[in-house]
Amino acid sequence: MWELLARSLEASTIFLFAALGELINQRAGVLNVGLEGLMLFGGTTAFITAQATGSYPLGFVAGLAIGGLLGLAHGFFSITLRGDQVVSGMGLWILSFGLTTYLGNPHTGPLGLGRIASFFGLSPFFVLGVALVGITWFLLFRTTQGLAIRSVGENPAAAEGSGISVTAVRYVCVLCGGVLAGLSGAAYTLSYNPVWNYNFLMGWGFVSLALVFFSMWNPWILLAGASLFGIMWQLSLSPELVLPGVLSRYVWRMVPFAITIPILSVISTPWFRRRWGLARPEALGRPYEKS
Amino acid sequence: MPKPLHADGPSAEPILAARALTKRFPGVLALDHVDVEVQEREIHAILGQNGAGKTTLMNILFGLVQPDEGALFLRGHQVEFRSPHDALAHGIGMVHQTRRLVSAHTVLENIVLGHPRVRGVLNLRRVAPEVEVLCNKYGFTVDLAARVWQLPEGERQWVEILKALYRGAQALILDEPTSTLTPPEVTTLLAGLQALVRDQGVTILLVTHKLPIVMAASHRVTVLRSGKVVARVRTADATEDMLVRHMIGRDIAVRTGKRSGEPGLPVLQVDRLSAVNDKGQLALQDISFSLREGEILGVAGVTGNGQDELAQVLAGLRDAVSGTVRFDGRDVTGLSPLAHWRVGIGYVPAERVEVASIAAFSLVENTALNYHFDPAFARRGLLDDARLEQLTRNILSGYDVKAPTARTRAQHLSGGNLQKLILGRVLSRKPRLLIAHLPTQGLDVEAAAFVRAALLDAKADGAAIVLISEDLDEILSLADWVAPIYEGRFGAVLPRAEADIETVGAMMAGWSAKEVRVQ
Repeated sequence: MWELLARSLEASTIFLFAALGELINQRAGVLNVGLEGLMLFGGTTAFITAQATGSYPLGFVAGLAIGGLLGLAHGFFSITLRGDQVVSGMGLWILSFGLTTYLGNPHTGPLGLGRIASFFGLSPFFVLGVALVGITWFLLFRTTQGLAIRSVGENPAAAEGSGISVTAVRYVCVLCGGVLAGLSGAAYTLSYNPVWNYNFLMGWGFVSLALVFFSMWNPWILLAGASLFGIMWQLSLSPELVLPGVLSRYVWRMVPFAITIPILSVISTPWFRRRWGLARPEALGRPYEKS
Repeated sequence: MPKPLHADGPSAEPILAARALTKRFPGVLALDHVDVEVQEREIHAILGQNGAGKTTLMNILFGLVQPDEGALFLRGHQVEFRSPHDALAHGIGMVHQTRRLVSAHTVLENIVLGHPRVRGVLNLRRVAPEVEVLCNKYGFTVDLAARVWQLPEGERQWVEILKALYRGAQALILDEPTSTLTPPEVTTLLAGLQALVRDQGVTILLVTHKLPIVMAASHRVTVLRSGKVVARVRTADATEDMLVRHMIGRDIAVRTGKRSGEPGLPVLQVDRLSAVNDKGQLALQDISFSLREGEILGVAGVTGNGQDELAQVLAGLRDAVSGTVRFDGRDVTGLSPLAHWRVGIGYVPAERVEVASIAAFSLVENTALNYHFDPAFARRGLLDDARLEQLTRNILSGYDVKAPTARTRAQHLSGGNLQKLILGRVLSRKPRLLIAHLPTQGLDVEAAAFVRAALLDAKADGAAIVLISEDLDEILSLADWVAPIYEGRFGAVLPRAEADIETVGAMMAGWSAKEVRVQ
């Protein structure tokens, strides 16, 4: 049972890293729906690098770097060129999906390195994830930089008038978001499931994206949501452990994705928006033009 | 009349001076060798129409725009402002016309946002006493823990002023500070500004096109017209007429509405009408009034008190929660917007660009927006393009719209010309009832005068008009009935003769009819 829980929390970490990065992005007003693409690219790069060099640290550095680069690319389209953020994000996802399939295909199979050490079966990444949640919360709600980030996401004109550079804040945030997405992908391919295969993420990035909305842009609720999804995912892999013989495992495997549909439906209702309307960054998805 | 604290002779060193500022935008000379001198501890008004160059001048003084020629001097030393950051660092603060506050954040968070002294860990408990001391010093009472969206507009403006002062501003630029305030809030603001100047030695640059404000509060006035300074006077030596002549370069005739001899037939009867806003809150409560042919009802209020909902319900764009609207005796509540147009109700929305027109469409297509359902212009689903173009040309000439051709896109028209087109296209349908929402907002003096004259012509032709406006002077000069609106209710429906500016102003701020009588 402990093993199942530890494994579930490791899965949660993948959601958590990516969603936390997206949360920082969105608090600054930038929506990146191409999260899955950043994770695929980060994961594949980390996998190939680690396999080629035999070094985990180099693999992580490569994964983080490529995540950050793609985050900046999304920033360039959405901040500097003031393009449509949804289109840019979808473009990044499609590009990453295709490119990683091409680049990763010759590496299909296991990583072939020793497993990363764990604390009593608990992944070190989960510990890191919880720490990052705390840091992000403190940064956003207890520092002036956090106030600046939240202001940029709510009312960029007010922030600019207060002497804050909207462009700089948004770029820093998309960089952080990209690095965290890269970390998420690398943690998947190097630790959680160190085997490369075609479309290995199977939509985890989109689940993470939904989690950000589900969390009301609060890191602690995000942690709870990510844990819930991790546990549900792990159960779907081995449902016989909990509910032997009830439904096919393929039905269980669909559950986390099926749950995102009611969540997205609920948060789109007028009731929800009225109740929690102030939680959504006011300027989310809107490019900012200096007056 | 406040007296200037310093003599404005050449001996006094101006706190802020602009010398020979020139700024060109593609095709426009926005500022042409403009000199402005602001003395310390005075309220200096910059007066001008839209397009006179006020905004450009202000943006240069605050570092948002860089001049092509000329220079800025601060207490005699030349300075260069590359960004608002530089201006703030030199003690120049700005309060914009539209609020630049984060409405989801608290007052305190807004005040400390971007302050250079507050870096790193944000200890609001430590900062709060500092800000409170400042509040006491300047005599403001505002709940620092309140969220900005909970505050009335007048207080939000004080939060911005406080924010600028907290950053150490010695000179404040205020851009059209009274445009969203009720008359009592305007009085409070002007008194507060005078106290700041008198007791705290703050210098204020007031940028406005409103003469009464300039006359009531300023020490000196610089008048801009077409990018040039046309007058520099002490307010004590100025008259309103003289300033108007400087502003527009000549006199304008002001027409006021006269009661028509005999009242016409009843057109509109609204009975206990209530409606909710987009958030589902009751925004319009128990509105009742009736209107006859050739009468204008002026709904006076500060934006956000239910005017949007009232206009939309009357135009059929929003459902009423309860109550009825009768037009010519027929219940039209709940009919579609199209049915409203068909029975003869015309609507001029407040949002000229977003709702009333489509920027990428030609003027002909924009005219068609009110004619596509008219059998005379659309047969078997096909628009009669030639007739529509002819109609558009008639509107362009009849309503003095300055446009190259009828095929020009709406986005190339100035606000005034676009509004004339919209008004022309609605009035050309000869509506029996016209709902005009903020018809002159943001227009220059001449375009506004034209729109008002067009409304009076429609009234003379027998149209009943519901005029929703923030401009009390406009309502008092045009309306037969005045209804102050506050939080979704009419304070009263007063005949024009009983509606004086104090009564209506007090009701716009929420005083009930009874309280006003007692005062």
